[in-house]
Amino acid sequence: MKHNIQNSGIAACNPPEHTMHRRLFLEGIAKVGAASLMSWSGLFSLPAFAEQAKREQKHCILLWLCGAPSQFETWDPKPGRPTGGPFRSIPTKLPGVHVSELMPKCAGILDRLSVVRSMKTEATEHFQGIELLNRGSGPRPPFTRPTLGSVLAQQLGNLDSPIPNFVFLDPCPEGNEFKSFKAGNWAGWLGAQYGPVRAGGEYQIPNVGRLPDITASDHEEREAFRRFLTRKYENERQSAAASSQNAAFERVKGLMSCAPLFDLERLPAKDKAKYGPGAFGMHALLARHLVENGAPFVMVANGMPWDCHVMNHEIHQMLVPELDRVIYHLVTDLEERGLLDKTLVVMMGEFGRTPWLNASRGRDHYPNAWSLAMAGCGIQRGVVVGATDEDGIDVTEKPFNEKNLFATIFSALGIDPYQEYDLPNLPTFHRVEENAEPIREILL
Amino acid sequence: MQEETATTTEKPLEVKTELLKTIKLPTAVLGVDVSADGQQIVAACLDGGVYIVDAETEETRLLEKHDSYASGVAQVPGTSVVISAGFDGVLKWHDIEEKRTIRSVKAHEFWSWQMAVSNDGSHVASVTGQYLTGGYKYEPAGETEGSVAVFNVQSGDRVCSLAHVPPVQSVAISPNGRYLAAANLMGEIRVWELPTGKLLANWTTQDLTSWGVIKSHCYIGGVYAMAFLGDGTELIVCGMGPMRDPMAGNGKQTWQKFAWTESPVRKVDEIHEGDHGRGLPETVSVHPSGRFFVMAGRLAQGKWNVAFFETGTGRMLQSMDAKNRITKAVFSGDGSKLFFGVAEGQPKKKENGVFPDFGRIAIFSVA
Repeated sequence: MKHNIQNSGIAACNPPEHTMHRRLFLEGIAKVGAASLMSWSGLFSLPAFAEQAKREQKHCILLWLCGAPSQFETWDPKPGRPTGGPFRSIPTKLPGVHVSELMPKCAGILDRLSVVRSMKTEATEHFQGIELLNRGSGPRPPFTRPTLGSVLAQQLGNLDSPIPNFVFLDPCPEGNEFKSFKAGNWAGWLGAQYGPVRAGGEYQIPNVGRLPDITASDHEEREAFRRFLTRKYENERQSAAASSQNAAFERVKGLMSCAPLFDLERLPAKDKAKYGPGAFGMHALLARHLVENGAPFVMVANGMPWDCHVMNHEIHQMLVPELDRVIYHLVTDLEERGLLDKTLVVMMGEFGRTPWLNASRGRDHYPNAWSLAMAGCGIQRGVVVGATDEDGIDVTEKPFNEKNLFATIFSALGIDPYQEYDLPNLPTFHRVEENAEPIREILL
Repeated sequence: MQEETATTTEKPLEVKTELLKTIKLPTAVLGVDVSADGQQIVAACLDGGVYIVDAETEETRLLEKHDSYASGVAQVPGTSVVISAGFDGVLKWHDIEEKRTIRSVKAHEFWSWQMAVSNDGSHVASVTGQYLTGGYKYEPAGETEGSVAVFNVQSGDRVCSLAHVPPVQSVAISPNGRYLAAANLMGEIRVWELPTGKLLANWTTQDLTSWGVIKSHCYIGGVYAMAFLGDGTELIVCGMGPMRDPMAGNGKQTWQKFAWTESPVRKVDEIHEGDHGRGLPETVSVHPSGRFFVMAGRLAQGKWNVAFFETGTGRMLQSMDAKNRITKAVFSGDGSKLFFGVAEGQPKKKENGVFPDFGRIAIFSVA
């Protein structure tokens, strides 16, 4: 791998990355000079390059269902069984395949999706599960493996693009263990330039806008001076931290130019009616919009709402219909726009939920047998792989773990899953360890 | 809405309870009712089953099954008829003497969250509503069918469908059969006249619902149970106080009493400071004497999930930790016994190919 790895990012909470989060919400600044830049092509100085890049660009949207949805109330229903819950199952476009009655829209397009019903992982708690399913491998301190988004930002992204290569849309600033994860080091050894730019909802931090008594030109002069000093520092001291800092500032400038792309208010009312009105749906629409405009990787979450230890069914009867609607529109919209074949959509949480109900009418954490779904770039259409037993307690066919999943995602996007990272003076790491097989049944 | 808190210096009532027996059922009990003499128990269960249980011999018989969870059940006073409701949206009439189901009525497109039969046996009411996203902050969407359905017990005909904001989770009919109350996730309570369906009162308590800050952005909680007092002009409601993490289920155990015929509706009393622990109260039942009531549910933190309160003063009279989730509490007609529907956690391991029983009916003496 030829990319220059930033060792300084190892196992540390990287300040430049956090700086980026704050800078996204330079709403006042962002409006300056950006009003006319609403198309992706317009963001590049060379239209021909923009068109070529757009044609070749692959994308990935991760609908991150944090907290872990129940497989019984989504992709792997067990109606009539003691573990099955109150919801019935309904037939789908695939003969003999049923999903929860809460997903009628997905049932109608299951011939365009692939479902894995046999995920079997080991992390039983949220933080570990989130780490595992975002990084694709267990921890090996003090080294920090980059998240999926960071790897795809590096592999699919273009550092010259003003659009962030890794956008994280999460309107909920909280989220217990997810909040802890969000505060951590996303990009790991790849370096802060591959960390996420966070946007969405009410997420904003005050006092980051350009001060009213500083003009735009004054601001640009200050930025030029800052750039000069840090470049000088970087060159003289060989500082990776300064390099990351500079990369972060460059991204801020890009963001300032493309900020209107993040504006929910500017999205067509018809689209908002389809995806909305909930925050998750609205941000899934924003993800589609960003992909249409060139973003390589967009992750959509909404806090940690799926962690239904209490009243699992009462919450799933609300969350799943929204998810059903979002998946349906996202997949069909991408297809209508000719983007589905080059956009991989992944829908998953960090594990599944227990077959048995606890005394609070909830389902607890369950990594032993759970489901996820994928669609689009590099993925077969209409495949359901793996199976669980009649009560959903264990996988009976083709268990897959996080490494199989990551090998599948990378393969689907045309990325070598097993490439070794170029990490001088560090142990050997690969994108996917142990040569884990991809889930070949769902790969094109 | 005006507020007032009752205080008194009178000596409180003494309520003594003793566990008489526990009867096992295959799956969690979500609804329970008992004949006036306390001998015949009916139970609605997680497996969809509606069971009739002899309190003395513990003989248990399955009447019929709903296509989803059976959520409620009631004996029609003075008859051999039992009416059950389910998450299949169906009301079923069973004749327990003839051992057959005599009528099934599709009451709702979504779950029947709860049901109630009037004391004179003339009306059965059932409430429904799916919580669908209606706003950016996950406010519930409007209803697609009347959220409150009232049927004639004799004929099975629909008497009226009443509008509310779904999901409507609890329903109660006044002892004299004149009033019907229904309340929802957002703490909105409506009272109608029966059988005309004329809306008499509509107010909201903010103290029984949560919009999540931690983890989730959605609503949870709401009014989980209600009971009219005396002539029906006062209504007790119960549920769980607001939580930052709505998935924790650890809001304050709360009841409130309203004089709903007054304008504006007046909060007469509520659980006293220091009395509550944390958890979800799911049931409230007034003793036939009218002098006290019981509130019960699930304990998250604190010392009790069953507590008795004096109706007039609101004082807590007795409390206990029943160790399991209580879904429904019903007094026998003479008030000498108290019946609890119980839901234990579902066992994780099968024995001989089936999950062990995790439903219970607990019978207490009350003195």
